[in-house]
Amino acid sequence: MVNVDTLGAPLESNDLILHHAEDVMGTVVTIDVYGPPTVNRELVDPYLSSALASLHHADSVFSLWQADSPMSKLRRGEIDLAKAPVVIGEVLEACQAARELSQGWFDPWALPGGTDPTGYVKGWAAQRALHLLLGAPVQGAIVNAAGDIASFGYPSEGEKFKVGITNPHSPKELTAIVALDGCIATSGSYERGQHLMDPHSGHFCTRVASASVMGPDLGLADALATALAIAGNDLLDVIDELSEFEAFTVSFDQERHWTPGFPLISLAAHE
Amino acid sequence: MTGSKITSVTIGSLNDGGNYRSQSIDSMAIPILEQEAMAAQSGNIQSVSGASYTSAGFIQSLQGALTTLGL
Repeated sequence: MVNVDTLGAPLESNDLILHHAEDVMGTVVTIDVYGPPTVNRELVDPYLSSALASLHHADSVFSLWQADSPMSKLRRGEIDLAKAPVVIGEVLEACQAARELSQGWFDPWALPGGTDPTGYVKGWAAQRALHLLLGAPVQGAIVNAAGDIASFGYPSEGEKFKVGITNPHSPKELTAIVALDGCIATSGSYERGQHLMDPHSGHFCTRVASASVMGPDLGLADALATALAIAGNDLLDVIDELSEFEAFTVSFDQERHWTPGFPLISLAAHE
Repeated sequence: MTGSKITSVTIGSLNDGGNYRSQSIDSMAIPILEQEAMAAQSGNIQSVSGASYTSAGFIQSLQGALTTLGL
């Protein structure tokens, strides 16, 4: 098993206190914490532990790969919502709101195996983990759960966080660099094959190669990015109307589109 | 932008297939970088957003390679 501890760490900077990679939720979640070198790392460790515990807790509640997780049991009708962990009800409520906001293009209830809030849960869990770092004596932090990113603060004095967006046609390259305000989620089929279902047609289908949504709520951004990947560029209008959310897509023909407020820093020249 | 790895830099235009709404030329000054310049810029980013990967996929992903970007 490869030691992932050092993978995914940003270039050394004076202000990077801590980098951690955790195998959880079927992926690797990285956590980076920033603060001046004077901060004692031992003061930060308990907050990191809490954040990691919350990720594992979310995994144990929602994982559909675990046959005995409460979400799996709920789907099979073995328990009802009243007997399930409270967070499941909260998540499903949030998914209802996301379904409405996305005009039905994000619909966990339309999926073949039964209700599947996975497209919301990953972002939701990552942001909850981030919130547990807020109490630490640090200036900034980033949690990256398989490409869904939540952040607070800043990496160094006078700087904002900057993130790259992967080029779906060449995933070892970037298509854009953006200033991160809060959270960003990206959806597309290029990593795991066709797994996004169009709730209106019932077919696996994406109309753009990659869709990214930035906003203050990562669960919702995750859901909206999923919806945008499926619906295509017509949904950019809808997301633009949502205050505090911006979006960016890469089409199958390599064109890029974005809402006017999407904070692009640079674009890669595509072939 | 600094560095000797930049081969060409152009300023985005409305014909770049970019913004889905028409905007004035003034607001379209987003630099379009050739891959080498992009790679150089990558050294300054803190994270990568892309489609969801599995644990095995992480090792191959750009996020997993973050330490080597820009080198």
